[in-house]
Amino acid sequence: MERMPQFDLRRPASIAEAAALLAAEPGARLLAGGTDLLPTMRRGIERPPVLVDLGAVRDFSRIDFADAGLALGAGVTLSQLAMDGRIVHHHRAIAEAARSVAGPGHRSAATIGGNLCLDTRCVFYNQSEWWRATNHYCLKLGGDVCHVAPQGSHCHAAFCGDLAPALLVLGASIELCARRGARVIPLSDLYRDDGVAHLALEPDEVLVRVLVPARSPALVSGYRKARARGAIDFPLAGVACALVARDGVLAELKVALTGTNSRPILLAGTEALVGRGIDEATLSALGKLVQKQASPMRTTVTQSNYRRQVAAALAQRLVRELAGYEPSAARASMS
Amino acid sequence: MTKRLLALTVNGRMREDAVAANLLLLDYLRGTAGLTGTKQGCDGGECGACTVLIDGQPRLACITLAAACEGRVVETIESLAIEGRMSRLQQAFHEKLGTQCGFCTPGMIMAAEALLRRNPRPTDADIREALSGNLCRCTGYVKIIESVQAAAGG
Amino acid sequence: MNDVSRATAGGPARDAPAIAQGRTAGQRTPLIDGVEKVTGRARYTADLPTGETLVGRILRSPIAHGVIRRIDTAAARSIPGVRAVITGEDFAAPYGVIPIARNEWPLARGKVRHRGEPVAAVAAIDETSAEAALAAIVLDIEPLPAYFSAAAARAADAVQLHENKAGNIEREVDQAFGDVDAGFAAADLVRERTFHYAEVAHGQIELNAAVATYEPERDRLTTQSVTQVPYYLHLTLARCLGMDSSQIRVVKPFVGGGFGHRVEPLNFELVTAALARAAGGTVKIELSREDGFLTHRGRPETDIRLKLGMKKSGAITAVDCEIVQRGGAYGGYGLVTILYAGALLHALYKVAAVRYHGYRVYTNTPPCGAMRGHGAVDARHAFESLLDIMAGELGLDPFAARRANLIVPPYRTLNDLQVNSYGIPDCLDWVEQASGWKTRRGKLPRGRGLGLACSHYVSGSAKPVHWSGEPHAVINLKLDFDGGITILTGAADIGQGSSTLLAQVVAEVLSVPLARIRVIAADSALTPKDNGSYSSRVSFMVGNAAIRAAQEMKRVLVTAAAKRLEVHPEDIEWNGDHCRVAGTDRTLDFAGAVDAALVDTGTLTVKGSWSTPPETQGGKFRGAAVGSTAGFSYAAQVVEVVVDEDTGAVAVERVWVAHDCGFAINPLAVEGQVQGAVWMGMGQALSEETQYHEGLPLRPNMLDYRVPTIVESPPIEVKLVESRDPLGPFGAKEASEGALHSFAPALANAICDAIGIRLTDLPASPDRVLEAIQARKRRERLRASIGVSAQPDPERH
Repeated sequence: MERMPQFDLRRPASIAEAAALLAAEPGARLLAGGTDLLPTMRRGIERPPVLVDLGAVRDFSRIDFADAGLALGAGVTLSQLAMDGRIVHHHRAIAEAARSVAGPGHRSAATIGGNLCLDTRCVFYNQSEWWRATNHYCLKLGGDVCHVAPQGSHCHAAFCGDLAPALLVLGASIELCARRGARVIPLSDLYRDDGVAHLALEPDEVLVRVLVPARSPALVSGYRKARARGAIDFPLAGVACALVARDGVLAELKVALTGTNSRPILLAGTEALVGRGIDEATLSALGKLVQKQASPMRTTVTQSNYRRQVAAALAQRLVRELAGYEPSAARASMS
Repeated sequence: MTKRLLALTVNGRMREDAVAANLLLLDYLRGTAGLTGTKQGCDGGECGACTVLIDGQPRLACITLAAACEGRVVETIESLAIEGRMSRLQQAFHEKLGTQCGFCTPGMIMAAEALLRRNPRPTDADIREALSGNLCRCTGYVKIIESVQAAAGG
Repeated sequence: MNDVSRATAGGPARDAPAIAQGRTAGQRTPLIDGVEKVTGRARYTADLPTGETLVGRILRSPIAHGVIRRIDTAAARSIPGVRAVITGEDFAAPYGVIPIARNEWPLARGKVRHRGEPVAAVAAIDETSAEAALAAIVLDIEPLPAYFSAAAARAADAVQLHENKAGNIEREVDQAFGDVDAGFAAADLVRERTFHYAEVAHGQIELNAAVATYEPERDRLTTQSVTQVPYYLHLTLARCLGMDSSQIRVVKPFVGGGFGHRVEPLNFELVTAALARAAGGTVKIELSREDGFLTHRGRPETDIRLKLGMKKSGAITAVDCEIVQRGGAYGGYGLVTILYAGALLHALYKVAAVRYHGYRVYTNTPPCGAMRGHGAVDARHAFESLLDIMAGELGLDPFAARRANLIVPPYRTLNDLQVNSYGIPDCLDWVEQASGWKTRRGKLPRGRGLGLACSHYVSGSAKPVHWSGEPHAVINLKLDFDGGITILTGAADIGQGSSTLLAQVVAEVLSVPLARIRVIAADSALTPKDNGSYSSRVSFMVGNAAIRAAQEMKRVLVTAAAKRLEVHPEDIEWNGDHCRVAGTDRTLDFAGAVDAALVDTGTLTVKGSWSTPPETQGGKFRGAAVGSTAGFSYAAQVVEVVVDEDTGAVAVERVWVAHDCGFAINPLAVEGQVQGAVWMGMGQALSEETQYHEGLPLRPNMLDYRVPTIVESPPIEVKLVESRDPLGPFGAKEASEGALHSFAPALANAICDAIGIRLTDLPASPDRVLEAIQARKRRERLRASIGVSAQPDPERH
C-alpha cells in the first residue's frame, strides 16, 4: 500500500470561500466525510494537490423541514439521515438508503453530498497503484483499455451511491454554488452516462443543499439493496421506489436504480404502469423495464447478469411491499 | 511539506502537535500519540479495526485526516478504563470471551461503546447494526453479542 | 444454551489424574491475556516499540511467469537514505516448510512464478526514500506462458514451473484400500457427482508485519513476527540467511489470528531479517491487506469427482474419489494438503473400500497452503453432500445414513489411522434433538430447510513435518523463591487460548490457583522448542507435556514437604496451598513446601515432554503419516436456512453443533473455538472466494473478499460432547477445526431441503443460487414443452 500522497489542506469557513478555493486551485478536491475520497487517495487513485476540507463550514449539515419541502445541507451525515424521525416517517427511502451504506463508522462521517458525488467504481479501478500498473491501467485512469469491455472505447465503471435513487424517486433537486453564483438543477441532471466523468459539475462548483419537494401524504417510498453481505458492501444493485396506491391501483410510480450503470437512473416508462392494478402482470412489466434499462457490466466480482436480475426482483418486491400487495417475503440477507 | 499545528482532545487530554496535512488519524494516534490500541486491519475503510470515537460518534481513523480533527474530542480504547479498571464493556468482552486474538477488539469495543452511550438497552438487532462495520475473524460474533448484552446489564 | 455432557465413553487420560470436575481444568476460564486485549495494551508486531528503525519495502513481480534476466539495483542504492537493497542473490538457500519441497526463495531467484512474487527489497530511513528506491529498481524479466488454472497447467504442452516437476504436478497420490470394485458391485446404489470449490483465504484481521534487529558486532539476529510457527521460522532464518541458528532469536508478540496463513515461514519475515543484516540495524516491514492476498497460502481451488456405493441400509460399500487442487506457484504445505484430502475423506466412517486419486498442480497464482481444516474441508462437503443425495434416493433419513456407518472405538481405519474415542453417536443424538429434526424436517414452509453433516479432524499431526525424533512437545516449569510458577512454552498463542489452557492444566495438577501461574511463551531464547500452532496440536500435545511437567514438579514438592515433615512422600496429602500428613493435623503451606524444595537445589526447574505413541503414527504406505493423529475430534451439525428464491440470497437462521472435544479443559474457549470454526465454514460456504484476472487477485481487500459481517451471522448453539480420549490431556482433543468441515455440507443439504436444488459449487453466493434456480426453471419448461410427464426433479434429494 502506498503512502497517502501529499497535498495542501485548506479549511474554509464558508461555502463561498470553498468555491473560491476550488476556482483558484486547479485539481483541488472537496473533502467532506472522506469515506470515498481518502480510500482512493490511499490507493494512489486520486492525487489532488489541494484538499478543501468542508469540516469547518457553518450551517452545512442542517436539516430543514418547511411547507415547501425538505432542505438537506450537503454536509448532513448519513447517520443523521438514518436516524431523523421525520425523514424516517415522511421520506423513508432516504432513511433506508442512508442506513444501508457501509457501517456506522462510515455513516457518522459520510455526507449526503459526498454520497451523491461518489466516484464510479470498478474492480479494475479500485485497486492499488501496483495492481493497476501491473494491469496496464485502464480507460478510467491512466490507460487506454477498458478491461470490462476491451473492444469498446467507453468506461463502464458503475455508480454505487445509495442515496441518489432514493432522492431521484422523490423528485429532488440540488443547489450548486460557484464563485459566480448559485444554481438549482434537478438531481438527475447531475449525472452523465460516462464512467470517467459521470458528474456534470463545473470544477469550481460546490453541492450545497439537496431539496426534496413536499409530496402528497399518500406517497410512500423505500429503498432495497442487493449485496452479498448484510453490511459494508456497495450495492450490487439498489432500487428506490416512490408510489401512491389507491384501491389497489397505482396512482403514481417512480423507480430508480443504482449500482447497475455509470449513473443512477430514474426508470423511464413507469408512467405507463400508472392506472394499472398492482398485480403480477404489472409487476412483470415493471421487471421488464428494469431489465431493459439496467445495464450492469463486469465491473464487480459478482456476475453482471445477476445484478440485472436482482434489480428487477427487488423493484417488484418493493412495489408489492409499498403498495401492500402482499406481506414482505421471508428474511434474507438482502436489506 | 509544511506542517500545521493541530489542537484536539485525545482521551481527555488537550494536545497540540505539528502534523502533516496527509497524516491519517490512525497514524497520528499510533505514531504521534503512542496509542497503539487502535489497529489497522485493511487498506482503508473496510474492516472497522481502527474504530475510535470522534465527538462521541464511531469513526474510522484509517480514513480520517488528523488535521480534520481540529478542535474535536477523540476517544480510543485506552480511554475506557475507569481508575485503571476495565469498563463494563471491557470486563464483559474479557469474561464472555468476546475477544479471541484481540485484534478487532479495540474497534469492536469502541463501536459498542458508541452504541451503549446512545442506547443503554440495545436489542440483538441494535447490537448487530452498531457492530456491522467491524469484522471479526475469530469468534463468529456470537460471544461478541453476548458480551455487549452483558455489559448492557442483561 | 451451551452445556457440557460429561458422561460419555472412555476412561481417564493415561498418566493424568482422573478428574470428574477439575478445580481449574474443566472450568470456564477467561483468557489469561484477555485484559491486555480488551484494554488495548496488548502489543502486536506492528505495535512494538523498536527504537531507531528502518522502513522495509518489497518490490513485487508484475509478471506471472518469467525468467529473471537482470535486476538492476544500482540506482536504488544511490538514493540518499537507502541503507540496503537486496535480491534473491542475498540468500543462502531456498525455503519451504516441507523438507522435500523447498523450492521457494524469499526473493525470487532465476524465475518468477506468480504476479506479486517478491523480487527485491529495500531498507531506508523513511518511507519516501524506500519508495523512491523501489521505483528505481529495474526489472528485466522475460515472460513465459503462464497458467492460472490447474487444467491449463496440466496441458500437454505447458511449460514447467519447476524443473523437477513434469506436467506441473507437484504431487500425485494414488491410494487404494480394500476391494473397491467388489464394494461397488455389492452396493444397492452407486452414484457419482462432481464438485467445484473456489479458493479461499484466511482473512486474519491483523496485517502481516515483522521487525528484525541485527547486531553486526555479535552477528546476532532477533526477529519478531506475526508467526504461528516461531521455531520453523527460526530454522528457516538460519537456513536462508546462512547463519548459525544459535545466533538467532525469534520472539512472537501478540498475534492477531492466523488460521493457517502463518503456519509456514513467509517471505516477508525472511526478507525483513535479511534487510536488517544488510543494513546492520533494525528493520520493520508492515504489509498491506493486498500484500496478504499476494502472499496467500489459503485453501486451493479444488475439483472433486466422488463416487459412492451404498447398501439399502445406508452402509457405504465403496468410495472412489479424484481430487485436483490448484496449488499455486510453490510447494508450501501442498503435498500435505492433497494427502489430507484423501486421508480424511472417509476415515470419519466405517467404510469397506476406498480408492483415492489426488493431483496437486503448480500454477502461476499465489501459493496455497494450510488453512483451518487443512485439506479436508472441500472433500467433506462432497462426501456429505453425496451421502445425502443417496440417502434421499434410498428413502433414508440423513441421520440414519450416518448412523449406518459409525465406528466403534478402538478402531483402525482402512488407511491405518487409529481411532481411540468417537463421539459422533452422541453428537448426532444431540443435534437431532436440539434442532427439532424429527418434528420439523419436511414440514417447513418452502424456502426454509434443515441440513445435517458430520466431520472430524486431527488433534495434531502424529508426525511433525520436521521429523527429528525429538518429543512432540516440551514444557519447562520454573518455581523460585517467590512461590510463583512460570510456564515456559514454545507454543504460540494466536488467540485460541493455548497459554490459558496450559496454565489451567498446570494449576489443575498442582492444585494451585491460576493466579500463582505465569506463562512465558514463544521466545526462542527462553522457551523450549515447540513446533507451533497448527493442525490443532497444541492442546493435545503441549497439554500432555504440561501435565507431565506439573506432575514432576508436584513430585519434587511432595518429596521436599515429606522430608520437611519427616514422613514418607506417600503420607503427604497434597492440596496445593497446603499439604497435610495423612490422618494428622500436621500441615505445611505452599510457601513452606517451596522453601523445603529449594533448600537443596535452589531454583526449581522441571520439564515435561510428550510424544505420540507409535501406533498412532499411521501406516507404512507412502504418505501414510498425513492424517495420522493421536486423537480425532468429531462434530455433527444441523443448519437451518431460508432461501430467497427471487434473489438467490441464503440466510443462515440457526446452527446447532455438537463437537466431541474429548474433555473441555476450558469450556468457554472451546465454545468460542467451535463457534469460530462453524462460522468460518459459513464464510467459505456463502460468500468468500478469491478470484484472479490473469493471475492478479481481483479481490485483494476486505470489500470483495467477503468475510461475513455480524449482520448475517447466525446464532450458533454449541454442545460439547466429552468422549474422554485415552491419550488426550485429561481426555481432551482438538476443538478449533473439526466443526468447520461440516458447515458447508450441512448448508448445502439444508438448501436442498429448502428449495430442492443441489448446489455442487461453493460458495453458495446469491448469483450461483439464483442461476441454479433459473436452470431448474429452464429444465422444467423444457420438460413441459416436450410433453414429458411430471417427474420429480432428479436434483431433489
